[in-house]
Amino acid sequence: MLKIEPIVGRYIYLTVQGTEYRIYYEESGKGIPIICQHAGGSQTLEWRFMLNDPEIISKYHIVSADLPYHGKSLPPDSIEWWKEDYKLTKSFFMDFQLELSRALGLQRPIYLGQNSAGFLALDLALEHPDDFRAVIGVNTSIKGGPSTMERYYHPAIGNNYKRATALAFCAPTSPEKLRRADSWCAMLSAPPVTGGDLYFYFYEHDLTGKTHLIDTSRCAVYLLTGEYDSTSSIEDTIELAKQIKGAKFTEMKNMSHCGMPENPELFKTYLMPILNEIAIQSDKKQR
Amino acid sequence: MAVRFTNPLNSDQFRKAVNTDPEFKIAARYMTKDACIEVGEVRCIVKFRDGIVSQIKTEATFADPWDFAIRGSVDAWEKFLQLVPPRFYDGLFAGMIRGNFRIDGDTISAFSHFWAITRLLDIFRELQNK
Repeated sequence: MLKIEPIVGRYIYLTVQGTEYRIYYEESGKGIPIICQHAGGSQTLEWRFMLNDPEIISKYHIVSADLPYHGKSLPPDSIEWWKEDYKLTKSFFMDFQLELSRALGLQRPIYLGQNSAGFLALDLALEHPDDFRAVIGVNTSIKGGPSTMERYYHPAIGNNYKRATALAFCAPTSPEKLRRADSWCAMLSAPPVTGGDLYFYFYEHDLTGKTHLIDTSRCAVYLLTGEYDSTSSIEDTIELAKQIKGAKFTEMKNMSHCGMPENPELFKTYLMPILNEIAIQSDKKQR
Repeated sequence: MAVRFTNPLNSDQFRKAVNTDPEFKIAARYMTKDACIEVGEVRCIVKFRDGIVSQIKTEATFADPWDFAIRGSVDAWEKFLQLVPPRFYDGLFAGMIRGNFRIDGDTISAFSHFWAITRLLDIFRELQNK
């Protein structure tokens, strides 16, 4: 019997910070829009379970795009990008979300991201609270640790390094076939792409002294962190949540750094109460 | 819990298990390095030659050369080798981020062969729990 998924993939042209990009994105479902942003050195594949889940897509419109230089989104045609290292800046990362939302006509979407994309959730809540009804940051902290991004530019460090580290970023209790698939996905992005994404993670995201400025009455903030995550520990995220009035934190037992792709069924048990709460709040505001 | 891979009586069994592991065979291709693994004060040298572990030299001394060293306390290794390790000991990378393990020496070689190294240690964990 023919099996076809509900996911539709297309290309859209977005102009971000004056440069036009041909962007690959996938979408499915109808309802409250959710932008699902992939992590550093990853791509939309990371959100395939979200895009395919019948319960989720019956109530929510899921959109996931490959950032430029990732997946099926090539570097832009109009600049000589090969003459400098790729580096993801906070302003670009935020502007990309805003332009994607505008171009697709999304009405104050929920933003959902994990790891570096989870860090961005907080930056969006701080700087663009009126453009998102809520943000969900998976495995986040106030700032990244000491940088290890330079390692990714060494010619001796290949994609198998990424394979091994991605495996290490899944909980030992997560299903092996999913851990292996996630490590394969991580390997599909070249090391310098990961290194460039980590520029945002290590050098650009820093909420020190700014967390009290996040207004959760304008943009709700939800934080989820995996028990095993070594980069943003549960203690790191609890500290972050304490500093944001109204932020809600949930520890994800038996999960680690990779979030949904390492164990989608378990991840969903943590995600759905949040989505349902946001949906109820959205209904109240509409009345 | 006694760490089994540092016991000279287990060296041959561990070496054979690693060399017959299908994933390790792929991961370790082209690897010719000497890795020092330190468990507290105890050290062993794992010699990789063209993707094969040619020797696991236990009771190694300061005079044994190595390219890179993977270092952790006895407590750290005992946690790492549990069938379901606790957080921050569940992998070498997680352990390094949290300061429970460290790699010294030629770190670029260690990271370029990180898949092989992590698979080797996963096999050590499997054998520890057999």
